[in-house]
Amino acid sequence: MSLINNILYDTVYHSAPLILLVLGGIFAYKANVLNIALEGMMLLGAFSSAYFVLITKSLLWGIIVGVILTLILGLIFSYFSVTLKSNFIITGLGINMFTLALSGFLLQFFSIPNINVSSIVSTANLKIDIPFLKDIPIIAPILSGHTFLTYFSFVCIFLAGVLMFKTKFGTYVRVVGENEEAAKSVGIKSDRIKYLAVLIGAFLCALAGANLSVERTALYTNNMTAGRGFIAIAAIYCGRGMPVKSTLYATVFGLTKSLSINLALNAGPVSGLFETVPYVMMVIVLGVVSAIESRRTKLR
Amino acid sequence: MTKNFKERFLIPAFNTLLPVISALFLGGIIIFAIGDNPFKTYGVMISKSLFTVDGILKTLHFASPLILTGLAIAITFKANVFNMGVEGQMLLGAFFSGVFGFSFDLPPLLHISLCLIVGVITGILFALIPAFLKAFFKVNEMVVTLMLNYAAVEITRYLAQGVFRNPASGDVATYTINSSAMFNKVGKNITAFFLISILVFIFIYILMKKSKLGYEITAIGKNEEFAKASGMRVYRKIIYIMMISGGISGLAGAGWMMSEKYRYTTSFSGNPGIGWDGMLIALLGAHNPVGVLIAAIFYAALKTGSDYINLYTNVPKDIVGVIQGILILFLSIKFINDKTDFLGRMRQRLKSIRGSKGATRI
Amino acid sequence: MKVIKTINLTKKFGDFIANDNINLEIEKGSITAIMGENGAGKTTLMNMFYGLSKPTSGELLINGKKANFKSPQDAIKCGLGMVHQHFKLVPGLTVFENILLGTEITAGPFIDTMKEIKEVSKLITEYKFELNPKDKVSDISIGAKQRVEILKMLYRKVDILIFDEPTAVLTPQEVDELLQSFRELKKQGKTIILITHKLREIMEVSDEVIVIKKGKIVGNVKTSKTNPKELANMMVGRDVVLDVSKREKDFSTSKVLYKVENLKTENDLGKTVVDNISFEIREGEILGVCGVEGNGQSELVKLLTGLMEKTEGKVFLNGEDITGMWPDELRKKGLAFIPEDRYAQGLCRDMSLSDNIIAGYHSGEKYCSFGLLKRKEITKTRDELIDFYDIRISEREGNISSLSGGNAQKVIIAREFDADPKVIIASQPTRGVDIGSIEFIYKKILELREKGKGILLVSSELSEIMSLSDRIIVMYKGKIVGQVDGKTATKEKLGLLMAGVR
Repeated sequence: MSLINNILYDTVYHSAPLILLVLGGIFAYKANVLNIALEGMMLLGAFSSAYFVLITKSLLWGIIVGVILTLILGLIFSYFSVTLKSNFIITGLGINMFTLALSGFLLQFFSIPNINVSSIVSTANLKIDIPFLKDIPIIAPILSGHTFLTYFSFVCIFLAGVLMFKTKFGTYVRVVGENEEAAKSVGIKSDRIKYLAVLIGAFLCALAGANLSVERTALYTNNMTAGRGFIAIAAIYCGRGMPVKSTLYATVFGLTKSLSINLALNAGPVSGLFETVPYVMMVIVLGVVSAIESRRTKLR
Repeated sequence: MTKNFKERFLIPAFNTLLPVISALFLGGIIIFAIGDNPFKTYGVMISKSLFTVDGILKTLHFASPLILTGLAIAITFKANVFNMGVEGQMLLGAFFSGVFGFSFDLPPLLHISLCLIVGVITGILFALIPAFLKAFFKVNEMVVTLMLNYAAVEITRYLAQGVFRNPASGDVATYTINSSAMFNKVGKNITAFFLISILVFIFIYILMKKSKLGYEITAIGKNEEFAKASGMRVYRKIIYIMMISGGISGLAGAGWMMSEKYRYTTSFSGNPGIGWDGMLIALLGAHNPVGVLIAAIFYAALKTGSDYINLYTNVPKDIVGVIQGILILFLSIKFINDKTDFLGRMRQRLKSIRGSKGATRI
Repeated sequence: MKVIKTINLTKKFGDFIANDNINLEIEKGSITAIMGENGAGKTTLMNMFYGLSKPTSGELLINGKKANFKSPQDAIKCGLGMVHQHFKLVPGLTVFENILLGTEITAGPFIDTMKEIKEVSKLITEYKFELNPKDKVSDISIGAKQRVEILKMLYRKVDILIFDEPTAVLTPQEVDELLQSFRELKKQGKTIILITHKLREIMEVSDEVIVIKKGKIVGNVKTSKTNPKELANMMVGRDVVLDVSKREKDFSTSKVLYKVENLKTENDLGKTVVDNISFEIREGEILGVCGVEGNGQSELVKLLTGLMEKTEGKVFLNGEDITGMWPDELRKKGLAFIPEDRYAQGLCRDMSLSDNIIAGYHSGEKYCSFGLLKRKEITKTRDELIDFYDIRISEREGNISSLSGGNAQKVIIAREFDADPKVIIASQPTRGVDIGSIEFIYKKILELREKGKGILLVSSELSEIMSLSDRIIVMYKGKIVGQVDGKTATKEKLGLLMAGVR
């Protein structure tokens, strides 16, 4: 029983940053500027929020500075890919490599192996029990006792859906992606829409990064995002950029991650191999979804 | 003729040099920001890698796997296929050639050849996963290869920690390969692996420039629909391309294992890895084999030089990675378009500014 | 009152003068046709009217005021709207969403869908259009899409409407409906500018005609005081009626060369788009296929050229089953293709002329040995074809992108006809090419007919189908709804079949 509880609790726990990434990525995806830099933006968010928590001695200020820096990175990405009309895949990969190298470079320069902020941030105190919910027997140990950003990520699914389908901005994002000419012909500033779509992504990536480093473990280690950005891209592909559908695929990753960690504890020598399961799982999911989608197509 | 010259040489040269200079400039600012002298840092890097015979040989030695990973990515980029899994294919190729290297004792030439073949085959097999997924189910190869890289890292780590671990070693590492599987150093730094890389380069050059497959790769990359309508079995070709790319990547790993590292550790590929360097090199070389060769040597010089900067400055050697990231960023845009020339555009812009001023005056 | 007046309006692209000192006046509440050949400069002129490009010199006056439009939005604000030939619609959105795009009605932060639908319904009844505001644009017919475009402009309160080749994609009956709408709009006081090269529409609906040739106005007459022949002469400087005299043939004894039996396929959504198509082509016969765009012709061509898979049916060449073969295999069997979209399937813009000339035949012994290309042989063939087919190219090593539309099409013709095929599947062979090239292409097609080749001609130009084909089949919703003899076909007869009326 407790194993299942753990697995489900961890699913929520591991899904949260993925959900933020996915929601951050769907707007850019819908606006036709696939943001492959989610990984780098998340890494910068994780690194800078941890570092500035250390500097400012304040969790809130650390995260705020982290968000601002990631937004600047988002601006760079959109300047290159929208204004300069770059090959945005390459731009995104460049950003990923740049942030990874820069964070490693700075760790080397500061001569520290990682950024430990456990003296400032108490992860235990960040876990919030939700009133009423925490008293319901089976659900409580799974859904309650998470951090603020974890709850926030689930709220964001709803917010993103409303933003995407009920507002002008969301409509314009979809229009720009579907037929940019049409958007321009009625005076929609398509470049501005794309910038905003990328910046929403940068903002949520920063939060995902902060969740991963400071909020959960109070520790930043080198390259700790470990490809989550790419997994988010895969989830977005599978869900075709629809908020709910894409986040569902993100939770599939959360579940496999949680399974691999919880089961590895009892797996003995092969436990190391469980690390590969989430990635392989996403490849399989991507394959199955694409296979179903292309099943009908008669075009060669 | 002059137009041709400009289109074929001047514009590409400019499009390559401008990003390099800009990236080195920004890297210089970062070096300056952490309180060091950028000129001194770059000076050390260049002088140690290019101004001495030893340095040049070492550069060429470093360039050997980079030429290969660069070509491996360039050939897929040319076909508009994004094999981002060169790093993973390289790692697995290295790992299993290493396993073959320490598990058997054979005559040197045979052993070396077999080890290289193991590396190539491993690379091909691993590249076939995204290739088949793409060909049969139209799965985006970029996302798959990006994720399989992580899987490759985890698999090799697991194997190096477990089955193939050398208990005598302090950190996670496999056994050292037998000397019969090692490339002998010619002089201090260079090995026959460099020669193999050059042979592969020549092969790819002919393939891309003279062969039917090269023509088809270009057509697929420039206009897939046209390629299909012209009777090319695009998905079959993509499988071939991925196999070539994976094979070369595996070879890069195997060669690097047998000429430099001799055993597999978790830091085998360095940071950023040889496969990722390949992406930069392919972009810098504009997907062109000759360009890739030059870019690989240039980048190897930077990397070789970076080993020394710690001795003379306080700049961490990861500065090369930072510059690399910035450089890729700049290479993603075209400073000068093939069609519109830079000077012409500037002139046009000046004219329009003048023109609009004139208009307001009236 | 003059709603539009231009004074020496000129547009240059580098050294090329696209519009040369255009002086014209357009009366309020009138319908003015602007006619001219492809590339005569009509579109450039309209782009200046609509703020899509800026004049090099000269003035444009709208309602007596000098206009300096920076974008279409400025033009729309001034009461001038345009309905493009290629619709600027978002297929994933509904009719009302498209009409209100950019000017959504909101309630707080959200879009007020109910109010939007009400507004659009009101507009639809006001102008007597047939539309359902809640339909998805991807599901409605081409004629309906055009009505959405018109309403988009009317909602923005424009009173000058420019139509760019509005009838190019419509059935004859839909054209009549559109012309009726023009009269309705005129009655409501709107001014209409109609860009076209179709004489019938001009004669039927316009008040005044302005003829443009090579960037200059060569004629400006009241419609009531002219006739089609005079207009045609003004437009091309000679008689436009293309000479397609072909020898009468009796096919009853000719051998069947190409045969299609019960061919069927479906699109990604599982909808049957090619439904039970059967026909045969005899030696020396041209079989025309016509229909409103989007009724399965494209898919049929894709099936026959090996780019799409069938769900049912068979294809035979000379009695041999060639069903499901890939394009390379089909070419080897002796088929040749002129694809629908020249720059998508036919040619690669960014590759050289040589590379395009070998495309599809590059695996053959002529151009390839031991996996390497025979560059010398290729260059030789290229030069021969350039001369033989009179392809005008400034630099022989240059890319296809430097060729005009007509010359690019000649490259395809040269490549495909040079292979001496048995059957040619030609889709829209003259789309967007100049009159000279059209004549050339017709001549070549008829030459092949004389040589006893089988030709499948798919085209949306009814006059082309009617003058070239020996037999015509009409497609509607993926099915063949009728077959007409080439000699007795009329526009009205085909038009009814194209609309699905048997």
